[in-house]
Parts: sequence; structure tokens; C-alpha cells
Amino acid sequence: MLLEAKEVSRAFGSFLAVDGASLEIEEGEIVGLIGPNGAGKSTFFNCIAGDLAPTAGRILFAGHDVTERSAEAHARLGIGRTFQVPATFTDMTVLENVMVGAFLRHPERAAARARALEILKRTGLSGVAFQRARGLGTPGRKRLEIARVLATGPRLMLLDEALAGLTPAELQGAIALVRAIHEEGVTLVVVEHIMEVILGLARRVIVFNEGRIIAEGPPQRVVGEPAVIEAYLGRAHLGRRKA
Amino acid sequence: MRWRPFALAAALLVYPLLFRGAFYQDMGALVLIQATSASAWNIVGGYAGQVSVGHAVFFGAGAYLPVLFYELWQLPLFVGVPAGIAVSLAFAFIIGLPTFRLRGHYFSMATIAVAELVRLIVSNSGFLGGAIGLMGPARPRGWWDLVFRSAVPYYYIFLAVLGLVLLATWQMERSRFGYYLRAIRADERAAKSLGVPVSRYKLYAFMLSAAFTAAAGSLYIIKTGFIDPESGFGILVSVQMIIIAALGGAGTLLGPLLGAILLVPLQTATNTWFGGGATGLTYIFYGGIIMLIARFEPGGLIELWRLRIAPLLLRRRGDAHAP
Ligand SMILES: Nc1ncnc2c1ncn2[C@@H]1O[C@H](COP(=O)(O)OP(=O)(O)OP(=O)(O)O)[C@@H](O)[C@H]1O
Ligand SMILES: [Mg+2]
Repeated sequence: MLLEAKEVSRAFGSFLAVDGASLEIEEGEIVGLIGPNGAGKSTFFNCIAGDLAPTAGRILFAGHDVTERSAEAHARLGIGRTFQVPATFTDMTVLENVMVGAFLRHPERAAARARALEILKRTGLSGVAFQRARGLGTPGRKRLEIARVLATGPRLMLLDEALAGLTPAELQGAIALVRAIHEEGVTLVVVEHIMEVILGLARRVIVFNEGRIIAEGPPQRVVGEPAVIEAYLGRAHLGRRKA
Repeated sequence: MRWRPFALAAALLVYPLLFRGAFYQDMGALVLIQATSASAWNIVGGYAGQVSVGHAVFFGAGAYLPVLFYELWQLPLFVGVPAGIAVSLAFAFIIGLPTFRLRGHYFSMATIAVAELVRLIVSNSGFLGGAIGLMGPARPRGWWDLVFRSAVPYYYIFLAVLGLVLLATWQMERSRFGYYLRAIRADERAAKSLGVPVSRYKLYAFMLSAAFTAAAGSLYIIKTGFIDPESGFGILVSVQMIIIAALGGAGTLLGPLLGAILLVPLQTATNTWFGGGATGLTYIFYGGIIMLIARFEPGGLIELWRLRIAPLLLRRRGDAHAP
């Protein structure tokens, strides 16, 4: 078992954004994590990545209890994550952004640079390597998120809507990239609203609603479950609470 | 573009030979001290983006300890320099360790509070000369007292120290340390997620910065032979470092030096014009500079050049390969 979350909860004040979520992820899997807006997917990611401390529950990674460890420690252990809203280092060049990630396993500048250049090539960012990241649009920044995390050499990658906002053509390229990363032995958890992405990547999906896991299984079967349909349609019926 | 730093270095080397008046040589030495302290501030305030408003505490420690050692044991001033650096490192550790763990402006507030507290304590401590301050040896007892009639020897000592600080900064810029600091400035949360030990690196940057600032304070006492609480620990000492670095370009290697070259002569000139009654004016002047930088180019003059003026010139020349 690579990752194991046991009854993880996260409260903001009296509001429970994640409410006793448990899951297990095997090394080598690609798992889809879906759910309506505000379901708690990003908050759950923040807990797994050490960015937020869970208010209850335990998280084990490769046998270590990482519940109380810092975000840096998570990265060192091999948990990498992208941010839903890209957290680009805008004053640095695209290459420098990726080098910050690469320095984790390559302390020397020349080695980090070489590694970062390799990753830029794989992620299709070579053309903008020496531009300031400020100049990138959202698709470029999303791609840079993936490149930067990849540079840290993760065993588990958490992608939070890393493929959102791409054109259909770009989407195919991005899906191929995620597959290639997976083929190199990286385990992935993918949050995505676009069903096409989930169906194209994941053998197993987990459905979040109001902080809880309400369904789990192969994507084709899960999307047909009454609880899942209700979670999505119920929201649509009431109107989306958040834009 | 690599020739520019060398041209600058050459100009600084020959400056006192070309401008032989005592006024110009004194001003040159002052430019170098200010450039050194602003460059030191730049490590934590510019590269790491952690704005210290209390760097006077390090400048003051660097200035006071040598002269205190002289007062107590008649030691030459340079003997106390390592002590000033050590005290500054200790201060930086004590301020940085608790505040860098917190988000928000605790760090800036803690630096200003500590600096003001230290200034008050020093002003009221008899053995530190109280509000009047302390004086070094009036007459040289030997070369080791480093008392020179001309400003030129000081100028070259200061230039060497500035060179050292800039060399260290340049090395830092090109290493993991420098990349990590810039990542921390840009987005701490993202830096952490990529494995950057954020609090630890901020502390390292702060301590390195403090040590170099103390060295600048020591240079000051070695040249002037006199220090009081206001010129060592005063809030203007801290603000001066920030303004100079921000004007030239915080977070760039040569920005603080550029800022000092522009601002110090301007200040000397206004002081001469308005006499001693211009202290209030200084604040207005600083406020104005801060507003201009914040409004038009937060990256200072170096960024203004790189991002706006240089591309314009290149385009006019019809040069296709902009950097
Ligand atoms: N720092 C915070 N403070 C207070 N409430 C928060 C905070 N972060 C998230 N929330 C709330 O927790 C709930 C879950 O948010 P979260 O971002 O985890 O949802 P999500 O499933 O990622 O949604 P989306 O699909 O829109 O990204 C939301 O109601 C949100 O408003
Ligand atoms: Mg989200």
C-alpha cells in the first residue's frame, strides 16, 4: 500500500470540509477523484500533501505516518502535488521554476538545470524555457505545475484539475503526458471535472460529496450509481452554490 | 551584457584617483558603506522577500562592539569586528527563529520592535555612552588603529568589503540557496510543496544578511571613529537600506549598489543646500521615492531597464534576438 488515509477530517471552524474520508491507493495506480464543486477534493489533497493538517484521522505513506509532517517533508518522501490555481513563481523563468523542483534531488546547479531541461522537453515547454513565467497563460501555467512537480521525482503525484481549461487538442496531449508519467512508475491521483479525462485515465474513481466518499469503483459503473447522480443532479437542481 | 559589471568595477576603482577633492572622496566612501549595507539587506529583504525594517540593529552592533572593545580594553577597532558580527548573528537567530514560522507581517514587526528596543537600551546604558555615544582612538597609536587623514585608504578597504559581499551574493544567486530564496519570495506555499525548507532558508538568509550588515557598521565606525544611538540604531538607518535597495532593484545583484550611487550624492547635496534643518525633508523625500517605486516599477531601476527601456532600444535598433 502506497497511500492510506484513515478517517481523515478537516474542519474550518465548525464546517467540516472533509468528513472522515478513508482510502487506499496501491503503488502504480491511477485513481480519479471526482465530485461536485465544494465537495472537499482540494482540501483532501491539501491534507495528503501536508499543506493542511487534518483535524482528525491518520495518513500513512509507504508505511510512514505522515499526518503531522510538514509539506517539505512530504515532498522529500515523494508526494508531489499541483495547485488548482497555478502557484507559478512569476518573476522566475520557466526553466528556473522547474529547477526549484529539480534541486530537491539534485543539489548542484548544473545537475538541476540538466534535469529541468529534460523535463521541459517532455512536457512540451522547451520553447518557453527562458521566458519569464509571468508571460504564460493558464494552459502553460498548468503544464508548468506538472513539470515542476515531476522535477521533484515523486512516487505519488496529486493532480488537482491540472488538465482543466485546455482545448480538446491540448487535452489529448496532456492525457498522453499523464499516461507517460504513469508508465514510468509514478502513482497518480487525478482530480478532474472533465469525464473524458477520468474515463481516459483511471481504472478506479472515488466520488466525493460534502466531504465524504460516497462511491468508489470502475468509472463506468460509478457514474451510474444513484448516490452519485443525486450528488451531481441535486446540486444542479438547487443551483450551484459556488461559481 | 557581461561587460557592464566590469565597467562598473573599473569605474569604482579609479573614482578616487579622478575625483581628488576630499569632499568627493568622502562621499565615495559613504556610497560604498551604504551600498554594502543595502546589498546585505537585499539578501533577506530582496531575494527572500522578507522585509526587515530593523536592520539598524545589526549595523549598530557592528559599529558599537569595536568601539566598546576600544573603550574597555583599548583594543584596535578591527579586533571588535568579529564580535559585532557574532552579536548580529545571535540577534538574527533570536528574531528569526520564532517569527519565520508564522505567516504574515510578524517578521517585519519584530525587526522594527527589536531595533527600537535596542536603540532605547543603548541610549540609556552608561557603559555604551548613553545618548552621546562612544569614540574610538583620536590619534593613531600605530597602523593597526586604521586612522588615516585621507578618505582614500578607507575607500579601498570599503570597496574590498563590498566586493566580498557582492561576490557572496553572486555565488548565492547561482546556487540552490538563491533559487530557493526567490521561490520563497514568489510563493511560500508552492515552495514548500516542492521540498523547500522555507523557515530554515529564511533564517539562513537573515543571518547571512545580518553578518554583512554588521560588517558595514564596522566600516562606518572605523572611518568616522564615532557612533551614537541614532546613527547606529536609528530607524532611518534601516529605512535607508530599504530605500537604496528598492530604488536600484531589490532582489538583483547590483541594484543596491546602483541605488547607493544615485541616492547618496543626492542626499549629500540636499544636506548641503538645506543645512541641518532638513531632517523632516528627508522623510518626505523617502516617502516620495517609496511611492514612485511602488507605483511604477516595484523591481526598481534595474527592472525598469531590463523590462521596459532595453527592449525599446533593441527594437529601435531592429535587433531581432532580444534576451
Ligand atoms: N481555507 C478555507 N477556509 C474556509 N473554508 C474553506 C477553506 N478551504 C476550503 N473551504 C471550504 O471547504 C469546502 C471544500 O472546498 P474544496 O476546495 O476542498 O472543494 P473542491 O472539491 O476542491 O471544489 P472545486 O471542485 O470547486 O475545486 C468548500 O465549501 C470551501 O468553501
Ligand atoms: Mg478544488
